[in-house]
Amino acid sequence: MAQSPATQPPTSGQPETGSLPAATHWRRACHQCDLLLTRQAAPVGCKLLCPRCGASQHRNMERSIAHTAALSVSGLLLFIPTATLPLLEFSLFTFGAENTLMNGVQALFEAGYIWLACIVLFCSVLAPLGKFLLLAFISWGSAWWRLRKPVAKAVRWYLHLQEWGMLDVYMLGILVALVKMSDLGKMEVGPGLYCFVAMMVVASAVQVSFDPEVVWARLARRRPGPDAGRGAASPEVEQ
Amino acid sequence: MNRPARALSQGLWVCLSCRQLIDPPKGAGSCLCPRCGARVHPRIEGSVMLTWALTITGALLLIPANILPVMTVIYLGSGEPSTIIGGALELYHAGLWGIALIVFVASIAVPVMKLVGLVMLCLIVQLRLDVSPRQAMRVYRVVNAIGRWSLLDLFMISILVALVDMGAIAEVHAGPGSTAFATVVVVTMFAVRAFDPRLVWDMVAARERETLSAQDAARPETAPDTQNNHTENG
Repeated sequence: MAQSPATQPPTSGQPETGSLPAATHWRRACHQCDLLLTRQAAPVGCKLLCPRCGASQHRNMERSIAHTAALSVSGLLLFIPTATLPLLEFSLFTFGAENTLMNGVQALFEAGYIWLACIVLFCSVLAPLGKFLLLAFISWGSAWWRLRKPVAKAVRWYLHLQEWGMLDVYMLGILVALVKMSDLGKMEVGPGLYCFVAMMVVASAVQVSFDPEVVWARLARRRPGPDAGRGAASPEVEQ
Repeated sequence: MNRPARALSQGLWVCLSCRQLIDPPKGAGSCLCPRCGARVHPRIEGSVMLTWALTITGALLLIPANILPVMTVIYLGSGEPSTIIGGALELYHAGLWGIALIVFVASIAVPVMKLVGLVMLCLIVQLRLDVSPRQAMRVYRVVNAIGRWSLLDLFMISILVALVDMGAIAEVHAGPGSTAFATVVVVTMFAVRAFDPRLVWDMVAARERETLSAQDAARPETAPDTQNNHTENG
């Protein structure tokens, strides 16, 4: 049972307006049930849960920024072979065709299913790619106080994009297609599929390792001026 | 009397984007989060109405999505358009019951469960039904988590359309039902986003206040002195 850390310095990721009155000892409110909490962040390696509704408030991963930077760059690198190499190869008698990430979208687009093609393109290509790019920018950009506004915007965009990246669902779609068509002709796994699986794993790992609280704390530490370094959002969040 | 303190009753708001506690300017209906710049409202604006609208849209679109064919597989000149249920049944009859189950869950059970869950949540908030809030939250989380898996069928169609394209010998076409189905998935994902689960707890607090005032009108509202935060290894 954690007692309220009343000695904790006041939260100040927020410099100018809207900062909390110094008297209050509330540090956070559950985003799902509005319960006020006295703790802002979980200790390293732990998860902070809402005691009333059980919603996960914060998960403090070790070295979140470093892991996010490394994983997002490897995700971007893996994206190149995934998008260019064939994922599946199908052959029937002497005919053969292969599937890449993009030509399914292209085929739907040519058949006139523009809306469907857009959804598939967005969920399987644009959203995962955008997530990697935004995370790479966030993890490097948060080192400079000057970039705080673009970084804040990038975090917001990332949180909106988060659930639309559906590499795992696409993976299951590939498996279903593989099984469904295997009695019709000869289905073979292309080299792109291995890269795709790796990218999917990296995408899940980066989603777990990314922690916005660390980004806010890091930006607050970089704040220039006399109180630089003192206004970290919470002392429990490291790096 | 140890009643939990809600942020709104203390005049504090939460930024849903960065989850920071905010002290809003007096008398304002909304403000910008000073940390991340997102617009913050005390509760999601028009939450129940928006959720209803999107849920009903989804429910109506579910009809063409299930009646119209989603895909046509032509093999050696013959082949019939198949609907979503037809596709799952076909797999089942071919002996691939594992895959059939996956397709059935992802494209039939999940959308229906999602719509039923959303209707339940809206009714709970609107009619102030006497349901345990924890149960309501469980419904909310399930609906939130399963939503994206229904796109499975559409990804499969996009793969097959590109892969099986050999003129008269074998060909796969998409059908008009797939557009309707894709829209159902997207619309219900937005509907879950639009629902504000804090309304459920507001209702609980209002009910508690009513019973309390019925018992003892003179007792002032007391804030709890300690709030226990549970931490868990994760």
